Amino acid sequence: MAHFEVKNLSFSYATSPEKVALKEVSVQIEQGAYITICGKSGSGKTTLLRHLKSVLTPYGERTGEVLFKGKKLADISERDQASEIGFVMQNPEHQIVTDKVWHELAFGLESLGYDQKEIRLRVAEMASFFGIQNWFHKDVSELSGGQKQLLNLASIMAMQPSVLILDEPTSQLDPIAAADFLNTVRKINRELRTTIIITEHRLEDILYASDQVIVMDQGRIVANDRPEKIGEYLKTENNDMFAAMPTPMQVYYGVPNKLKCPLTVREGAEWLELLLAGKNLRIREINDEKTLYDESQIKSPAVELKEVWFRYEKKAQDVLKGVSMKVPRNSIFAVVGGNGTGKSTMLKSIGGMCKPYRGKVKVEGRLSMLPQDPQDLFGHGTVEEELKEMLSGKDVAGEETLETVVGICEIKHLLKQHPYDLSGGEQQRVALAKVLLTEPEVLLLDEPTKGIDSFFKLRFAQILEKLKEKGVTIILVSHDIEFCAKYADMVSMFFDGGIVTTNTPNRFFSGNGFYTTAANRMSRHVFKNAIINEEVISLCQLNL
Amino acid sequence: MSIEFVKEYYYVICIVILLGAFLLFVRGFESRKPGAREVVILAVMSAIAVASRAVFVMIPFVKPILGIIMITGIAFGVEAGFLTGAVSALVSNFIFGQGPWTPWQMFAYGLAGAIAGFLAKRKIMGTDRLLLTSFLGYVIVQFIVGPILDCSSLLLMGRTMSKEFVFAIFAAGATPNGILGIATGVTLLLLCKPMVGKLNRLKIKYGIMEADAKE
Amino acid sequence: MKFTDCHPITNLVFYIGAIGFGMCLVHPACLVCSFLFALVYYSIVKGEVRKYLGRILMLFMVVSLINPFFNRYGETILFVYFNGRSYTLEALGYGLALAGMFCSIMTWFASYSVVMTKDKFLFCFGKLAPTVSLILTMVFRFIPDFQRKLQQVSGIRKSIGLSTSSGTNREKIKHGMNIISSVTSWALESSVVTADSMRSRGYGSGRRTSYSIYSFKKKDQFLLFIMLLLLLITLLCALNGGFTAEYTPSLYISDWDNAWTIIGVGSYFLFLAIPSVLHLIEEIIWHISRSKI
Repeated sequence: MAHFEVKNLSFSYATSPEKVALKEVSVQIEQGAYITICGKSGSGKTTLLRHLKSVLTPYGERTGEVLFKGKKLADISERDQASEIGFVMQNPEHQIVTDKVWHELAFGLESLGYDQKEIRLRVAEMASFFGIQNWFHKDVSELSGGQKQLLNLASIMAMQPSVLILDEPTSQLDPIAAADFLNTVRKINRELRTTIIITEHRLEDILYASDQVIVMDQGRIVANDRPEKIGEYLKTENNDMFAAMPTPMQVYYGVPNKLKCPLTVREGAEWLELLLAGKNLRIREINDEKTLYDESQIKSPAVELKEVWFRYEKKAQDVLKGVSMKVPRNSIFAVVGGNGTGKSTMLKSIGGMCKPYRGKVKVEGRLSMLPQDPQDLFGHGTVEEELKEMLSGKDVAGEETLETVVGICEIKHLLKQHPYDLSGGEQQRVALAKVLLTEPEVLLLDEPTKGIDSFFKLRFAQILEKLKEKGVTIILVSHDIEFCAKYADMVSMFFDGGIVTTNTPNRFFSGNGFYTTAANRMSRHVFKNAIINEEVISLCQLNL
Repeated sequence: MSIEFVKEYYYVICIVILLGAFLLFVRGFESRKPGAREVVILAVMSAIAVASRAVFVMIPFVKPILGIIMITGIAFGVEAGFLTGAVSALVSNFIFGQGPWTPWQMFAYGLAGAIAGFLAKRKIMGTDRLLLTSFLGYVIVQFIVGPILDCSSLLLMGRTMSKEFVFAIFAAGATPNGILGIATGVTLLLLCKPMVGKLNRLKIKYGIMEADAKE
Repeated sequence: MKFTDCHPITNLVFYIGAIGFGMCLVHPACLVCSFLFALVYYSIVKGEVRKYLGRILMLFMVVSLINPFFNRYGETILFVYFNGRSYTLEALGYGLALAGMFCSIMTWFASYSVVMTKDKFLFCFGKLAPTVSLILTMVFRFIPDFQRKLQQVSGIRKSIGLSTSSGTNREKIKHGMNIISSVTSWALESSVVTADSMRSRGYGSGRRTSYSIYSFKKKDQFLLFIMLLLLLITLLCALNGGFTAEYTPSLYISDWDNAWTIIGVGSYFLFLAIPSVLHLIEEIIWHISRSKI
């Protein structure tokens, strides 16, 4: 008997009945399996997941059925579903209900009516399993995003569910916190035999651990197979999802070969070795066309920081410790680095939101900043009103600018919609449009790819290139190494309140040991400076 | 109960009556078993009401708290208005310090939300009558909420509560109450429409309150 | 065990007793006891009393001196003002008593705010009204988030020229309201997720229990018993006229020759001393045990 069985499920939302959200979906999930579901934004992943728990099932027209342990899901009581089926959502903050860590851990158990003694035991167990005993008495607001998501997971595991459903649980986390979270999920699967059903944008960290990968497109299941087989289908069908697959897999299918498909960097490196064994490597390097970064050569920089020092409060510690940098005009300048190193603060100091107590910030031209949460810019009922807000006090020329910006950001079809009804990628573009209406010459971006899937990332990157062509200087701060490697002209490493090094992406990433792209990590033993998938593929092809 | 007794312990009696009223209200609310969405919305509105103060720290006397409570009353009715008001008052006292005024303030703020809810149901307050709504907001604060808040200072008076003293207390409170009233009116004027719009969107999109009641 | 570490119910019963009786008993001896211990305990929990003492004594003076202006009763006229209204000794006495009561209650509330943390309050309230106390918990959870968000939005709006911190008050108010409106959108939209998360974890699926990290220990039992006993004795004495105190029109205060007064004041004194004494005992024990480390 399957753990979960979905039979011929079709569904359309009550709010838009003409659009099919799920179409004849059938799937079987065994006890203890680790299932990854992937697909573009709006492909129906979330809708499908929400059908696996009655209280979360959306309103609308539905046919077909869902069976849980052989019984109809609708016939299982709300209470049993609450404890048996755990559901972790995307945003770490909004899921937390109470103000204390201990209370949050107990929340589900309280709802199920357990007594004081039982709750005390379970809470203690969970705190120990997840290693959160040190912050047990803290206020929830003191936790980092990663800790919050772990708390959500722990408070669900306290109810001892037999299946755990996770809907893009790490999309709001930085890479280190995300890896930490996913490791915990794997541990739960391995040690407790809890069935895992997970959706993600970043597949690098979960695909290799999966028993089964389900690909969704326009409300249908288009593929359902073991992870190493899934790439073949996507490649032959030319499915957009291929771009979201792990780097080794993408490289593998870029080069004609008959070897086994690699899923991790290690497998990828081994595959490369096998592939190129005995071959004479004529070309081991790609030419870096981007000009070398030389501070003294930059005559009139768009932004210049000179020995900038900053702290948030008089008695607090310094966050920026003498930052100096020059950003050349008309370039995409990326700053990477770990959490809490002060990258965002540096961006704010350029944007004028943090006033340094020592040093100078010089900005040439108008400056605008896109915040990390695009929603910070919203407050109106439609996208159009959001944009019009920026034009108040301007004349007819404003209307024209509006049209150009709408064109650049590709949001014409969204104008009548409510900003909060849009997907993360669309919200990002609307926010960008709003910022662009100030006609900036210098554009600051704070984590622009957070929570956005690979297609929207691509579209976003194209918009950035367009802006660059128009002469805008773009400075972005990001955890997304792959994105910076692909689209930036210069990359800086930020650490401990200052810039450590700056270089072109190829020189920068090939010089790093492990703070570098997956493509570089899997190919560094054979190629000198390949950092993105396409480069590895082309070098392979040249040498075969 | 003799007149003497009432005179002697009038303050304690008032508090006991107030607490009794809260108890009755809470019992009514609890027995209805409100759903998750309703509970969250009420918490969000109370938290906004309390946190909004931070935005105007640089402008003295401008406190949007009562305006936001009334907006909740207008959007969700008498009960929700009273609860949001009482909760906001209690929570803000947790931040700024509890005192003998806490129950009075809870009652006064709750009443403000409830009256707004009542008037909205009679179609007197609402988004289509912004100016009237804003003016009534001022009136409610100046002549109902303010005087009740001032009552908490009657503790100073004991048995000798005389007309003059009551008058003096209310007279002293008139100006600050007026300022609070104007701030409330302005809040309603500027925020009533957008906020009620947002709350209605939630009602329509997720069937909040109605859907909860049906379950 | 310090009083702050006691079970919330123990704390609550004490404060109900102290504040409730504090508002009813106007006998000078009671007022002195109440004010004294309120101040002592205030200084213990706050670690500071001098600044506070200055302020509270100021208040005391103002309240006591002003009261007679509104109180026409009394026999011993001190002076006459306006059109023959008199300022009497009895009224001044009554003013002093009221001021003492007012100041002691304010002081008890000041220490109450420290002792009864929101967690403790929610515990006491949780059994009585689970839903309302959950709403309170959530409000406490949301406020820091909302404050952070308000700041963030304000900064962002300033940076793209939608807000200013300068300008007329009128502009500032308008900008402020826009910020609140924007944050409200965000908060309401995210509240849908919170509600889903609650229901997904079984909220509303049946009877709800409430978990607490407090445990009712033997010492709490003992303490509660003592407190209730002392309160009962005080109440008995009050009903038997042990605390009779008339200020106007003529002064009459029950004297020490009345047994009810002696017992009553004694038990009231002991009751009010409990938090401070507990603290003192704990300090001594800690001092001794620390020397053994």
